Amino acid sequence: MKKNKRFKKKKIGSRYSKLSLFQKPEVKFFKPCPLSGKDAPVVDYKNIKLLKKYISETGRILPSRVTSVSSKKQKEVSISIKRARLLALI
Amino acid sequence: MNCYEHTFITKQDVSESKAKNLVSKYENIIKTNSGKILKTEEWGLRNLAHHIKHNKKGFYFHIKFEGVGKTIEELEKAENIDETLIRYLTVKVRKHDLKTNYFEKKDF
Repeated sequence: MKKNKRFKKKKIGSRYSKLSLFQKPEVKFFKPCPLSGKDAPVVDYKNIKLLKKYISETGRILPSRVTSVSSKKQKEVSISIKRARLLALI
Repeated sequence: MNCYEHTFITKQDVSESKAKNLVSKYENIIKTNSGKILKTEEWGLRNLAHHIKHNKKGFYFHIKFEGVGKTIEELEKAENIDETLIRYLTVKVRKHDLKTNYFEKKDF
């Protein structure tokens, strides 16, 4: 009896030990892009409220691997941040 | 004809009537050089995020217009000489968005 209980606990509790090459992970690592898709906000150099989410405290542009913005939208964001900097809005 | 957006910042010590003259002056330059003005916005006196040429504040003006390459050439030629301006920016856009105004006008 004691042996059976131990065996069962191992099967349920350890989620990560089951991962192998041909198995889909149960935990999601991927986050969808917040700027693409339906009714997404417009990226524009005048829209300061939105752009302030994508800069650090010291005013540097955050990398897309942190914010999970798609590469197409990241290009738009970085250009519009630089335009807003020129007009001293950010 | 292409769609353009133009913003410029004037110095803080420019009076209100002078600033309105400035806007009409640049609008005339656009009109005479085969351009067509759709909308002008006043964003009012704003704090600059960082100092530009020892200025801390400035009046913002925004013009949306249609034109050709020569209109911008003439516009920026006139603005380069102007000493009351701090900075300007022209951006080419595909479509004009005339509805949304991100900066509502503040009282002077």
